[in-house]
Amino acid sequence: MSSRNSALVPFIMEHQDNIYRLAYSYVHNKDDALDVVQESIYKAMKTKSPLQDSSAIKSWFYRIVVHTALDLLKKRKRVQPIEDEQLHAIMDESEDHYSDVDMTRSLEQLPDKYRIVVVLRYFEDLKIEEVAEVLHENVNTVKTRLYHALRLLRIEMSQPS
Amino acid sequence: MDHRLEQLKEQYSQIPIPEELNAVVLQALNRSSRRRTARRRWISAAAAAILIVLIGINTSPAVANAFASIPGIGQWVKVVTIREYFVEDERHNADIKVPEISNLGDDKLSAGLNEKYLAEGKQLYEQFQKDMQELRDGHLGVDAGYAVKTDTEDLFVIERYVVISMGSSEEKLKYDTIDKRNHIALTLPMLFKNDQYIKAISENIIEQMRQRMKDDPNQIYWIEGAADELSEDEWFRTIKPDQSFYIDASGHLIVVFDKYEVGPGYMGVQQFTIPTEAIAELLASDQYIK
Repeated sequence: MSSRNSALVPFIMEHQDNIYRLAYSYVHNKDDALDVVQESIYKAMKTKSPLQDSSAIKSWFYRIVVHTALDLLKKRKRVQPIEDEQLHAIMDESEDHYSDVDMTRSLEQLPDKYRIVVVLRYFEDLKIEEVAEVLHENVNTVKTRLYHALRLLRIEMSQPS
Repeated sequence: MDHRLEQLKEQYSQIPIPEELNAVVLQALNRSSRRRTARRRWISAAAAAILIVLIGINTSPAVANAFASIPGIGQWVKVVTIREYFVEDERHNADIKVPEISNLGDDKLSAGLNEKYLAEGKQLYEQFQKDMQELRDGHLGVDAGYAVKTDTEDLFVIERYVVISMGSSEEKLKYDTIDKRNHIALTLPMLFKNDQYIKAISENIIEQMRQRMKDDPNQIYWIEGAADELSEDEWFRTIKPDQSFYIDASGHLIVVFDKYEVGPGYMGVQQFTIPTEAIAELLASDQYIK
């Protein structure tokens, strides 16, 4: 094991459950999620990790996980690009429903790009800036997506931190 | 945080973590350094097509003789793959190579060894078939083969390795160390005057483990002071009287541990070269270990 990845190994060991859940939130099954975890680690170990700082490593490694998961989905051709009309249909639908909607299902019904910002921001506790880094998007795009996502989930957004 | 968001987060945190996650992670971290133990799955939905090949290699006597009579140097042992079990479908793969030794200078000894290797291969294959039937999903892989570790005028060492992957992977090594002059298969106790070698070797290995951990913080051995999260009876304290070992070409004793035997899975199989001076006084003779 190379010493240049000395901060990476402990990070992965310590956060393996989070890494798995992040992968799972894309692929929705155990085997694929394990594959994504495995593949992400291979990729990360092959590359020199940019920084020793643990929060930088987190964004950097999560980005690898996100890319790997998306690659896998692409290979499986399960990704269906969401059109605006469809999106509005989902939004309208969710607005028409009441609070007895099963929340997990509605989170899973969100298009990937909306779901992931919720996962990263609220479940993995990344800062907006870090989410932007993981997704390679600018901060405003992330904020917009988060706003849409929460609206889709019928969650009132408190003042963004 | 919004109550619903809390609820969602709670549900997210309850995504079950599969048992094999840790093994997959460790294995991935360790991939570069060991033989291929990668988790492999076939995505193809095609019906399982199982292919089983049994190879019997007929060795040419001319080639055997050519090897046997290299002038000036002692006898050269010949090893070939006499049988190979090969199974591959979308979820299972086995590749089990069975060695056959010849030209050892003692037909009875080589026949005994060859019989053992055939039995080992057959047993692995039968276990694989059994597991294949029992395992409803997930991937099952067996990779077994052999390597000649030492072949000098005095000594011949053959290694057999087995890597079984079922979610996590298991790795085992076995050795036969043969005295070519006297045609004896050596055992560890046979090399020493009495059983004090167990303590001497164990102490030396623990010392080496501490040094390796000091040199590289990523290394972990399950010994006192380094694996305190384990209960004491899980610490490595002593080798088995018949611990796996072999003797290398320069006459050093190498002690070998299977994966998981003395450390976490990502550490893989572990080998320690025992400095001869640490055991010199205990050796039964200086014929083998120098």
